[in-house]
Amino acid sequence: MSETDSPILDIQHVSKQFGGLAANSDVSFSMTEGMILGLIGPNGAGKTTLFNCITGYYPPTKGDVIFKGKRLNGMTPDQVCKLGMVRTWQKVRPLAKLSVIDNVVVGALVRTGSVPEAREIAREQLHVVKLAHKADFLAGGLPIGERKKLEVARVLATKPDLLLLDEVMGGLNPAESEDIIQLILEIKQRGLTQMVIEHDMKAIMRISDRIVVLNSGEKLAEGAPLEIVSNPEVVTAYLGEAHT
Amino acid sequence: MTIFLQSLLSGILIGGAYALIGVGLTIIFGVMRIINFAHGDLVMLGMYASYFLFTLGNVDPFVSIVFVFPLLFLFGAILQKTVINRVLNALPQNQILLTIGIGLILSNTMMLLFTSDYRIISTSYSSGSFRLGEISVSTPLLLSFGITGLVTAILYWFLLKTDTGQAIRATAQDRDAAQLMGVNVKRMSVLATGLGAGLAAVAGALISPTYYIFPQVGQPFTLKAFVIVVLGGMGSVMGATVGGIIIGATESLAGAYISSGLKDLVVYVLFLLILLFKPAGLFGKSRV
Amino acid sequence: MPPRTRTRTRARGLSAFSIVAFIAAVVLLALFPKFVENPYAVHLMVTFFLAVIMGEAWNLIGGYGGQYSVGHAAYFGIGAYTVLVLLQTNGVAPWWGLLPALALALGVAAIVGSITFRLRGPYFVLASIAVAEIFRLVALNWKSATNGAEGILLSGVPPIVIGGTEIVNFSSKVPFYYMGLALAVLTVLVTVWFQGSKLGYYLQAIREDQDAANSLGIPLTFYKNIALMISAFFTAWAGALYGLYVGFIDPQTAVGLDISVQIVLTAIIGGIGTVFGPVVGAAILVALSEALRSNAITDLLVAGGLVSETSSIGIFLKDHLSHAHMLIYGFLVAIVILFMPDGVLGAVNNAARRRRARAAAGGAR
Repeated sequence: MSETDSPILDIQHVSKQFGGLAANSDVSFSMTEGMILGLIGPNGAGKTTLFNCITGYYPPTKGDVIFKGKRLNGMTPDQVCKLGMVRTWQKVRPLAKLSVIDNVVVGALVRTGSVPEAREIAREQLHVVKLAHKADFLAGGLPIGERKKLEVARVLATKPDLLLLDEVMGGLNPAESEDIIQLILEIKQRGLTQMVIEHDMKAIMRISDRIVVLNSGEKLAEGAPLEIVSNPEVVTAYLGEAHT
Repeated sequence: MTIFLQSLLSGILIGGAYALIGVGLTIIFGVMRIINFAHGDLVMLGMYASYFLFTLGNVDPFVSIVFVFPLLFLFGAILQKTVINRVLNALPQNQILLTIGIGLILSNTMMLLFTSDYRIISTSYSSGSFRLGEISVSTPLLLSFGITGLVTAILYWFLLKTDTGQAIRATAQDRDAAQLMGVNVKRMSVLATGLGAGLAAVAGALISPTYYIFPQVGQPFTLKAFVIVVLGGMGSVMGATVGGIIIGATESLAGAYISSGLKDLVVYVLFLLILLFKPAGLFGKSRV
Repeated sequence: MPPRTRTRTRARGLSAFSIVAFIAAVVLLALFPKFVENPYAVHLMVTFFLAVIMGEAWNLIGGYGGQYSVGHAAYFGIGAYTVLVLLQTNGVAPWWGLLPALALALGVAAIVGSITFRLRGPYFVLASIAVAEIFRLVALNWKSATNGAEGILLSGVPPIVIGGTEIVNFSSKVPFYYMGLALAVLTVLVTVWFQGSKLGYYLQAIREDQDAANSLGIPLTFYKNIALMISAFFTAWAGALYGLYVGFIDPQTAVGLDISVQIVLTAIIGGIGTVFGPVVGAAILVALSEALRSNAITDLLVAGGLVSETSSIGIFLKDHLSHAHMLIYGFLVAIVILFMPDGVLGAVNNAARRRRARAAAGGAR
């Protein structure tokens, strides 16, 4: 275990260019163990690109990502997952022709070679997200709310230290969103660290310990939720736009 | 040097027909995102059509394209409407298998009807050639290259200058956007398949005086067409035109300098290298 | 109540019924040559076993992994050529020749996989075809080893002799029957194991969504390679068995594109990603193409009084239909893709599932 004050994730001057287009430029922040960090910003601010850079989908053009003291540059997503960092997808990606439990078993198998053991882990995680009753259903047939929960169960089964949740409340009704909020808080109770991309400002203010605001690929502001809502720059660039 | 120029020239001349085959494949791919594994068999149909027009109607193979093109255009359009249209949203693997099945049906039906005997068209110029300095130029190949150029010119005019041609290109660029802009995407798919089949058949008719004609003759053309299209960039008409010439020349040079048995091997190795290191091809946009 | 889309739970393996039926079938097949001596019937069964072996082998990477290789002829050819060349030119007994053949197939699969698995979808399919064509051209041009287009005609398979006594004599088809049966059973058992293993789960995850699988800690190329190697191993074994059994191979019949296509179709027609799909596919394909090849269809039409044997149509069919047995592959694959994309076995299962769902819905009312 690392000391509590040394960061679990340290993002240092990360830039990502696609051709001439800068999707992220010089983004730096860090996360300490057990915290929930909210990542917000208008559409196209580079939030998902940052997720992709952190989790190894493509290497950052410049800068470093340091997770649990290890530099991740050049690592592939599967290696990053084995180290204990795993992400969900904004557009859910269930393994459609596999059953719900088998989807979670796939996640669990990263920590064990035994399928029966993986099924045990999978069953537990389905209980956590309250999907146990759907275990034998085809994942492709689930409604959106349950697909989002399945994504969370699947990443939890990989026994991560850090979860990156990309709009897990997107497209959900208020009751379903509330379920997810409770789930995120419960995961926090278990000591896991989470970075959350979310559009629902009320939700993000409620759950986040700290918030990073991205705008046009750059970090616009960082602080506690209350500081962020009263930051005039954020209000004009992002909240102002949302409130008009 | 003479050997080099000689093989280069023959390669370029045959490359013209390859280009037509490749352009047909790339148009079908561009508009429907389907790789047509029956493409060589359409070339084969063009060869047979030309053969029968020649033997039964005494129509010169180079003239026969005026009949062969509309005939196979119609065939391709019907094939699209009745069969291929049903798998537009299926898995790419299933689309490929379906067209493989169509290819098997075409070649084996021809075998059923006309046996697997080799047939040849012997025109007065079939083995004709003339000398250009040290180099000998095959008359039928030169003629076919000239007509290929003409057909390509007409095709470019059609794609660039007519409304329908522009609609096809728009669909190839972005199917959804084209649909939003009011392009009848379904009709474009039918047209594209017809056009692709017609072009493949025209190529078949043009090379019919210089090739043996038999039901299985199409398969190597299918593979060559893939190489050409990948080389030029999937969906790029310009790329397929240039790719056809390059592959024709490469093949011919490899045949002259390595061994005629290994010329296809060189082409396939080249193909793998392109797939791995420049998957977008020479003229394609990168699709990551 | 919404329609239930319950899956048959994979991890618990086969149903009791399947296991009993499978064991019964194997026992019956083992006894088959004791009662049926007709060499034609035995020949058909050997053909069937070969198709099962190749279909099951392809199914591992193609069906479970979704990596549609249309180049498995490469491995089939490696098996057939290695064993036959070693036997014919170097006098190496086939059971020894099999070892380098299988090792070579594993090695080639590892190399081919590392190169082509970087490609996805149609690009992978095209690359797999190109690789197989390269092997065919090598077989065609490496005349000193392979005898080029003329192919290799075996002068005979030496008997297996242990301690001076002859154990197996290959003068009849029956030893090939048992080897084919044993290998077919083995590939089915391997598939059962595969389906419930970590490897099988990972390959299915890769089939469904490569990026999602990758994010869940699956190194894509590594697992695809493992599955391809197992697949190539059994395909090469089938190739060796085929070469010894038929006694003749040439580049077209041992490494041609038709072989690759037939292997894929066996799995597709039966139903991919299932244990018994390739078995069903093999049965359908072998039965139908033999019916065409042997003129059974024409005979049936004649017997039914639909076509006169001496009429021009009758003569035409007798003359031509037997040459065009690949036609049936074309129609079958078109029908399967258009009307039952999950294959014959998949269509049967889907129908059964729908019936159960209706019954359950009816019961709930």
